[in-house]
Amino acid sequence: MTDRDKLLGRVRMYDFALVEAIEYLDTHPQNTAALAYYSEMRTAFDDAAAAYENAFGPLTAREVDTRTGHWRWIDDPWPWEGEDD
Amino acid sequence: MWSYDKRLQFPVKIKNPDPQIAKIVMTQLGGPDGELGASMRYLNQRYAMPYKEGKAILTDIGTEELAHMEMISAIVYQLTRDLTPEQIREGGFDAYFVDHTAGIYPQFSSGTPWSAMTFQSKGDPITDLFEDLAAEQKARTTYDNLLRLIDDPDVREPLKFLREREIVHFQRFGDALRIVQDNLDAKNYYAFNPATDIRPPSRDRMRRNGLHRPAEGAAPPSAD
Repeated sequence: MTDRDKLLGRVRMYDFALVEAIEYLDTHPQNTAALAYYSEMRTAFDDAAAAYENAFGPLTAREVDTRTGHWRWIDDPWPWEGEDD
Repeated sequence: MWSYDKRLQFPVKIKNPDPQIAKIVMTQLGGPDGELGASMRYLNQRYAMPYKEGKAILTDIGTEELAHMEMISAIVYQLTRDLTPEQIREGGFDAYFVDHTAGIYPQFSSGTPWSAMTFQSKGDPITDLFEDLAAEQKARTTYDNLLRLIDDPDVREPLKFLREREIVHFQRFGDALRIVQDNLDAKNYYAFNPATDIRPPSRDRMRRNGLHRPAEGAAPPSAD
């Protein structure tokens, strides 16, 4: 497993936890345990996404570091190409 | 509006192309119970949903279905990469190939193109949510059927993930249905359609009653 695998795996894991929390909270908006879980997972996701983006480039077109003098958003691989982990 | 994350929700990394499997998996992109139809169903239905929990869940599940569409497309793309003419013929992929080469086109496993006829947006929250519950079960059965026919673990793992999501979404739509019914007359849920028969005060009526105040910063830009 490459470093890229590991970092992207963490992004996916915390994103999945957030998706689950968000959909649960939509129909249980007062659930304090779910609210706390969401908050904890969001911090973990932000950290994981930042770690990945620092090493391997932007996950969204709004997180592109232009100091490289190159529009990194277009760089391969794109997700469907099976090379992103 | 929407934004795009440059990653799949669950990894898809397939080592061995297999056009025969691609043909059947494709039905979860553009088939009668596929992810494209699922997303369009929920994202179109949400405008008739009067309750905030329902608006949120239709939006968020409708959005997640777009990510599932991308996973299915990635599976089909990777299963049909670098095929030889022999593989295309032997895998029964020739009819698809002449129409689409190896491009991704949303269609049923039988070849019928994707159609908005596969879903309804009835404008009645109870009716729509019962359709959504059934849709999640139909998609789950489709994944069950695919898993009976597919041995390659590279294809099975993402399909198993997607199958689980159908079950979770069934739960969430069940929650939403309960919330809708809790807002209605328990003796007759069908006494009226909450999408059309309960209206928030209109702006005109609010203005007439002196209740209308434009929100701060909502003034239209001046002509100069």
